[in-house]
Amino acid sequence: MAQPFWGKTGSLSILAGAQTGVSEEDARILRGLRAGIEEAYEELIERYEHPVYSIVFRLIANPSDASDVVQDVFLKVFRGVQSFRQQSSLRTWIYRIAVNEAHNHRRWFARHCRREVPIGNEHCEHTDPLDFATDPGRSPFDQALDSENRLMIEQALTRINPVFRTAVVLRDIQNLSYEEIAEILQVSLGTVKSRILRGREALRRELTQRDAGFAEAMA
Amino acid sequence: MTCWSVKRRKTDYVDGRLRPGERSRLEAHLQNCDSCDLEINEMRSVRSSLRNLLKPDAPAALRTRLRVIASYERHVLLETNGSRVRRVWNNWKFRINQMMRPLTIPATGGLLSSLLLFGALALTISTTTRAVQYEVPVYYENHIDPNLVPLELRSSVFLTLSLDGSGRITDYAVQQGESKSFVGDPARLQGNNISLPEFPERSRSGDISISFIPVVYRP
Repeated sequence: MAQPFWGKTGSLSILAGAQTGVSEEDARILRGLRAGIEEAYEELIERYEHPVYSIVFRLIANPSDASDVVQDVFLKVFRGVQSFRQQSSLRTWIYRIAVNEAHNHRRWFARHCRREVPIGNEHCEHTDPLDFATDPGRSPFDQALDSENRLMIEQALTRINPVFRTAVVLRDIQNLSYEEIAEILQVSLGTVKSRILRGREALRRELTQRDAGFAEAMA
Repeated sequence: MTCWSVKRRKTDYVDGRLRPGERSRLEAHLQNCDSCDLEINEMRSVRSSLRNLLKPDAPAALRTRLRVIASYERHVLLETNGSRVRRVWNNWKFRINQMMRPLTIPATGGLLSSLLLFGALALTISTTTRAVQYEVPVYYENHIDPNLVPLELRSSVFLTLSLDGSGRITDYAVQQGESKSFVGDPARLQGNNISLPEFPERSRSGDISISFIPVVYRP
């Protein structure tokens, strides 16, 4: 019996190594997207909604706008899938769009919203990132301690140079390989290493300067 | 290995990307250099803190919004068959449609009215001579006979009236085009009171003026 055009849906493999070109799984999704098959769209959303949201959330200046940026990312993915030349993996391509969209939004935010005075918890107001991150499995005390540390790191992360922050987020939070980061950012491997190093250094300086107690918290 | 070399390699070391030889040389240096050892430990701490950050939860509404976008894009894809030109054309068609919709009814009404008006006028406007049937009414003293002089105008018609001293028509002749044929019945015109403004002033004042006054009808 011939295999159907739209095969069995696969699982997300975010922790895969560096990919050059499109895997069989990606190719199957791409075929489905290009043919307008509903399940392919659903699977793409299922696989990439959270990772893309996570990247965008960390890179933009106002995390409450992350949903809007993610929408733009998926819109570009759906529209660009016909012209995707498959020279990189599907994941790398989508993440590249996400990073670019996040940078565009950050620039837009800097131009338009920086001088605005927020009224209440509305647009252009920096939202506490911890509002979005929950860990219900821990005790209230541990959660409070963790929250404090996380908040410190989150805030330090927002203060470092966006170029370095992007590299650090992709490496240490998204757990991508250096090669994938180089593909996403369209820079050389050496530049990726340099940015990660400088990002981590900047983060370490921020943490040690801002809060002397961070060392104990991390210990 | 010097401290400078360790500085250059510490990102690779923390990420486990050093070759075994380099790794052992670096570790040997760390055993003798507290400063480098501290830097490496701090970088490890930063890295592990970043890895332990909770992934932000995407809002539940985002999935719905992405599905709506996917559904729309899928519909467009199937409609345009993946052609970018057709997509752009459809977009413009939609925009023009939206722009013109409020103007459609007034514009159509105005256009139809104009067409009707000018169409009706166009029937009466002509530069060429047409064969038409006219009935020239002649007013007698006691009655009007509209069928007195049936004429078929194929070209300009010269009506020559003979007047008496009171300005009354005593005779008339009709000359059609270049032909010399005359049609007339002076006996039947006696006593009529046709008033023609083109009559010379002398005739109006009752002076005797037996003359010929040409009146031209142009169809």
